[in-house]
Amino acid sequence: MPPAFSIRANSVDVEQIMKQIRTRIREKRGVDYTEAEIRELASIKLETFLDPSRVRSELLDHYRRGGPTPPVAPLVVPPPPANYEFEADTAYLSSRGALGRTLYAVRRLLNPLLKLFINPNPMIHVLNMQSTINRETWARFDGVLGRFHDEYRDRERHRVELDALGYEVAHNLVVEMTRLGIEVKNLKMRVESLAGRLDFSERRARALESIVQYRPGSGPGQEPPARPKPAGEERRREDRHRDEGGRDERAANGGGAGIPKGEAQRSRRKRRRRGRGAGAVPQGSEITPGQQNQAPPDHASLPSEGGGHPARPDLPARSEGPDSSRPEDQ
Amino acid sequence: MKVAVVVQRYGLDINGGAELHARYISEHLARHVEVEVLTTCARDYITWRNELRAGDERVNGLVVRRFPVRRQRDPLEFGRRSTRVFSTVHSLRDELAWLDAEGPNSPALVSFIRKRRREYDYFVFFSFRYYHAYHGARVAPAQALLVPTAERDAAVGLSMFGPLFRGVRALMYNSYEERAMINAAAQNADVPGIVVGVGSEVPARTRPDRFRRKYGIDGPFVAYVGRIDENKGCKELFDYFEQYCRFVRGDLMLVLIGKPVLPIPDHPRIRHLGFVSDQDKFDAVAAADALIMPSYFESLSMVALEAWGLGTPVLANGRCDVLKGQCIRSNAGLYYESFEEFLETLALLQSDRMVRRGLGENGRAFFVRHYAWPVIERAYVDMFERLKQAERAGPPTGQMEPLPGWFARFRSNLPPAKGVVEALPSGPSLKRERRG
Repeated sequence: MPPAFSIRANSVDVEQIMKQIRTRIREKRGVDYTEAEIRELASIKLETFLDPSRVRSELLDHYRRGGPTPPVAPLVVPPPPANYEFEADTAYLSSRGALGRTLYAVRRLLNPLLKLFINPNPMIHVLNMQSTINRETWARFDGVLGRFHDEYRDRERHRVELDALGYEVAHNLVVEMTRLGIEVKNLKMRVESLAGRLDFSERRARALESIVQYRPGSGPGQEPPARPKPAGEERRREDRHRDEGGRDERAANGGGAGIPKGEAQRSRRKRRRRGRGAGAVPQGSEITPGQQNQAPPDHASLPSEGGGHPARPDLPARSEGPDSSRPEDQ
Repeated sequence: MKVAVVVQRYGLDINGGAELHARYISEHLARHVEVEVLTTCARDYITWRNELRAGDERVNGLVVRRFPVRRQRDPLEFGRRSTRVFSTVHSLRDELAWLDAEGPNSPALVSFIRKRRREYDYFVFFSFRYYHAYHGARVAPAQALLVPTAERDAAVGLSMFGPLFRGVRALMYNSYEERAMINAAAQNADVPGIVVGVGSEVPARTRPDRFRRKYGIDGPFVAYVGRIDENKGCKELFDYFEQYCRFVRGDLMLVLIGKPVLPIPDHPRIRHLGFVSDQDKFDAVAAADALIMPSYFESLSMVALEAWGLGTPVLANGRCDVLKGQCIRSNAGLYYESFEEFLETLALLQSDRMVRRGLGENGRAFFVRHYAWPVIERAYVDMFERLKQAERAGPPTGQMEPLPGWFARFRSNLPPAKGVVEALPSGPSLKRERRG
């Protein structure tokens, strides 16, 4: 894909070249590049995956292996640790039964002494508040978590449904794509076959058109009605024409008697006219209207090319029978 | 006049872009002035491990003084600090710590410059982003010339480099794009600067046929020369070329020359030759229909310059401002910014011999005009003389802004470097300027 730049060696201007390149890229993006090409440019490494011939096996295998994604277990939050209730006299309590009660009493008793060193009241107050905050926070979190769980369950249900749908859609698409691919291939083959047959028919039609047609019984008692020729004979004649045409072409190209092509054709035409003037065309036969003045068609490879050739005098004169008419004269 | 070239690594077997650049410049400047090279003992740019002997040695006739690296780079720490300074609001201390983490951390080199700076007229520092350039230029700002070799990466946006770009005596840029970027980032347009680049030892005669015979390449091909790395745009090149082969029939091959860091696709029209000799490389480039430069970030592509020197057109990644600018200024290369453009430009180069020839001729002329060694040497010598004249006229102007106080360095008010670079103007600098 060489870009069409006209730059002479002594006048290279990098900025100009870059400008041209950028303009070209812009134009390509807008006009030449298709979306697929842009996608290919952007993510060329995906090419293998996006290759349609591989979609079926890759994608379906993938889905078959995995199937619809199973639902994910809801988020489980462990319960909070038990809240530590901190009351005004918690700091003085003891868990040692009767001794504990005595200790409690002693601590309360010595509290004024403790206050000489530190004041525990603000700490007790703060810890009490913290306990309350913990309780409140958990209650709120629990509510939010409940709502989250509900939403989570709904979304999960939707996702599972969508996954199943996605699987189905992808499956159907792949199957349809495969079917279409096969159909396209069949259609291509049919088109090719039809084109071949059409081509053959056209050649055949031209060959038949070039044949002088006899109208049976056009002259009363002058000529016996033309005997219908079997199809095999027709084909043999066409083959002979083709062979002779090939020989003519070789001869006309200098491989024959050394007569130039144009001259050979002219002499051929003269001889033919002479032949016609001498009653070479049998009575009761007629040339189809316009046959003489028709411009020669450009059918270099048609079998009708094989007219009589001056380089091959041993060949029968083609103007003698209805099969010997040549397209050059048409 | 005595000049010290200060570079992170130096040696005949060290082929990094900036290092090779520094070696070429040193060897060519030595024809005009006395040159010494100050460098580290490192060979590996990832770890900066001390592999070469500290002390003095001679490389191609030049005195090379090597200094040890105090500590190797810890990639994890460097990565963490890079994320911090490139992507978040940070402090100057973070940036300095990032620089220490990046290395090559060689206080001995900096100390040498500080103590012996009077023995030299000028220090030419290569690669702004490394420890040696930042700290070295700070201790001798009045004698410092900087060859930034800056690409459009986040390091340019670090606040600590502003004073460096403003405080050196002169800057020797590789390209107009680099100059525009640094001017915008550091507001240093008043600092003497010149776009000079680097020359190349392009052989006068090449033998493309010998290359074709040696490697059995008969048909047309495009060449890529360099490290085969995703960071160099090679992955995109492979994708594009494979797609190109689907769209354009023919036998155009992609020939890769260089060390692979990236797996090379197994494709009948992609051929990897590995590391080849310089002669083979030049012959390959001369034989190629075009040289492809797919890199997104280049401060100056020496391979592209060599291709132009050999009369071979270049097909460059247009998203690299420098390469695109070079292609336009030289009129010797096409560029692409999408697959469609790659397709069209490569198809044009493949199919149109006149375009190839025109671009190649332009490239050769561009190389001779701007990147032949006499031109490069003259540019450096002129700059030294210009600075000398300015010194004779008055006191040196190279004054580095001092670092903020200890507490100010901790203030987290510096913007993420990535954001700073993104806000810088981009695109090729199309003003065709004359040197000087």
